Amino acid sequence: MKFFTPFRKKSPWILHYNAGSCNGCDIEILAALGPKFDLERFGAINTGNPKQSDIFLVTGPVTYRSRERLVELYTQIPEPKVVVAVGSCTDTGGVFRGMLNVEDGIDRYIPVDVYIPGCAASPQLIIDGLVKALEILETKSKAIEKPFKLFGAVQMIGTKLSRLNMAQRVRHDEN
Amino acid sequence: MIWVWILLAPLLGGLVYGGERVLRARMQRRQGPPFLQPFYDMFKLMDKRSLIVHAPHALLAVGHFFLLWVSVAAIFLGWNLLYIIFLHLFAQVVLILAGYSVRSVYSHLGANRELLALVAYEPILILVSVGFYLVSGSFEIGRILEGEGYLAQMPLLFAALLIIVPIKVKKSPFDVTEAHQEIVGGVEIEYSGVFYEFLYMARFLEYLFIYSFIFLFGGISYGVGAVLVAATFLLVNLVDNATARVRTGDMVKIVYGVAMSLAVINIVGILR
Ligand code: SF4
Repeated sequence: MKFFTPFRKKSPWILHYNAGSCNGCDIEILAALGPKFDLERFGAINTGNPKQSDIFLVTGPVTYRSRERLVELYTQIPEPKVVVAVGSCTDTGGVFRGMLNVEDGIDRYIPVDVYIPGCAASPQLIIDGLVKALEILETKSKAIEKPFKLFGAVQMIGTKLSRLNMAQRVRHDEN
Repeated sequence: MIWVWILLAPLLGGLVYGGERVLRARMQRRQGPPFLQPFYDMFKLMDKRSLIVHAPHALLAVGHFFLLWVSVAAIFLGWNLLYIIFLHLFAQVVLILAGYSVRSVYSHLGANRELLALVAYEPILILVSVGFYLVSGSFEIGRILEGEGYLAQMPLLFAALLIIVPIKVKKSPFDVTEAHQEIVGGVEIEYSGVFYEFLYMARFLEYLFIYSFIFLFGGISYGVGAVLVAATFLLVNLVDNATARVRTGDMVKIVYGVAMSLAVINIVGILR
């Protein structure tokens, strides 16, 4: 609805995911959320729950281990949503470019709206990037956004099968 | 007139919550979010696509919110304290059922903790209302507010109530039911969009619910009640900023060990 759209900008809830970064950018994100740079003055909260977030902050080149989770988290965020890639290695691979166990950047898997450069990206830059992301968030519609299809058919079937197994392994009466 | 206040209750709670977020930020020397931030959050959540796990799960959140609203309305209307406590208990049970109704481990953990918290604070609430009965001769809030001298006669019960306030408003050291860093919100985890908004507003009503118990200690002089509420509000936030979370079992032990004995000693003292 038109009336509610301006309020998207006023309450961005953040989901932060580390797709195999060196932790440099994670520390800078936490610095931006902390008392000195105080992202909460824009109404931002670090929710940690994809179902209640608007902004997906990703750090790190995608390692083979983390790519499934990256796509999974992305699809669990309800629209409208924006993706912010924090740090050089998230944008292009950075210092990890060409290594054998990483992909070069997250934009092979999910559509990225804002790229933040820097290794490590400074808190000021992260705040700038978030403000830019909020402008994009306001123009988005509620249409479903999908991750790119990059998993091969064999891998897809493998993932499905492994899920089946997981659903059996997690016992619900024992927690 | 009173019906207008009842209708506005969630908004009133939202103002309290917004003020609290600003206050906590100032205590940490931050600027903090705008005062009306909870309402911005609410409007934003209206604009999100909502992912529903299954219909009863979503409806139980709505039910939780409306039951809490009824119990807050009952407080405003001056009903019997015991009715109010049991209405509130019903609302909590609905929330716990919602937590168990999905196949998410975090949601189950949250519901377990919610249940333990309920077991911990419910006896204290009942003992406090028994204290009010012994002093004023009635369980009706209307009658209780006509009496006076509660603070002088039940200081230990007030202390016991102070211990359980952080459980209800989900503040450290007793915020185990929410525990964002461990179980990511517990029962709330599977909610999104409009249905999460009901849980978000339910939290505002919890503030009104527990702080109105504090207000009752003022009796006929509403000024004293207001001062008590303001002082408790400051104290709870100060403690929240200064302490870490205790474990669930320890929370139950502390509440049963300390708060319960304080309450029982006080009631025995009144009876003698
Ligand atoms: S951009 Fe540099 S500092 Fe940031 S996560 Fe990548 S390697 Fe680490």
